[in-house]
Amino acid sequence: MNQLTVLYDPRCTLCRSARDFLSKEESYVPIVLVAAGSETARQRFPGLDHAATLSTLTVIDDRGNVWKDDAAFVTCLWALRRYREWSLRLATPAFRPHIRTFFHWFSENRHRLSSFVPQALMPSQEASR
Amino acid sequence: MDPKAWTYLVYLVLSVALTVWVARTLHKNGRIFLVDVFGGNEPLADSVNHLLVVGFYLINFGYVTLALKLSIPVESVPQSIEALSQKVGAVLLVLGGMHFFNLYVFSRMRRKVVLAAAPPPFLPDACLTR
Repeated sequence: MNQLTVLYDPRCTLCRSARDFLSKEESYVPIVLVAAGSETARQRFPGLDHAATLSTLTVIDDRGNVWKDDAAFVTCLWALRRYREWSLRLATPAFRPHIRTFFHWFSENRHRLSSFVPQALMPSQEASR
Repeated sequence: MDPKAWTYLVYLVLSVALTVWVARTLHKNGRIFLVDVFGGNEPLADSVNHLLVVGFYLINFGYVTLALKLSIPVESVPQSIEALSQKVGAVLLVLGGMHFFNLYVFSRMRRKVVLAAAPPPFLPDACLTR
């Protein structure tokens, strides 16, 4: 894998925080951050269901492989130097059901959870890279 | 030669023999780890292995030398054995500590390589045809 594109939800504060976090972390694979449903995303991945990418986290590698949901979350961690070991651990049968439950809960409540983020910690609307 | 000098001599012989034994074990069995860590580059693995063993010898011989002096009187065979057991015991503990430290270094190096080469933990959910 030579590149990992992460389609984040630009309407959600926590997702933008996650985008900023991903852009700052050292990674094994270059990470490209694109707003889900944006014109850039549509141009780059014409074959993708873009409405679906606004409801669930989607990551795509340079060969066109698509990961969704909790698998996308774990794949993001896998791309990061500091968290690869954790991603492999979270992918084991012992952790997988918990991470799936947690991620679904988080994904469904992300807009509500975003309202708890203090104003001072709000990420910018613009992509940081 | 007085008993203390004999004790020193036996201590040195035992400590050096133990150090050499542990170092040789490390050298022989650590090699395969290093070859794996360096992606099969055997000359590099051998070189690092040799450098590690040199460091191991330096630290252990340094300790053995510094810990030589006996502060208790040694005038009989039992006293000599007591003093020896104390000194050699300390050398064994240092050797054990160093040995586990070396193992830790080896496993850390290997873990880094294994992690860097690890494929994504999940198979993709779909594949876009271009």
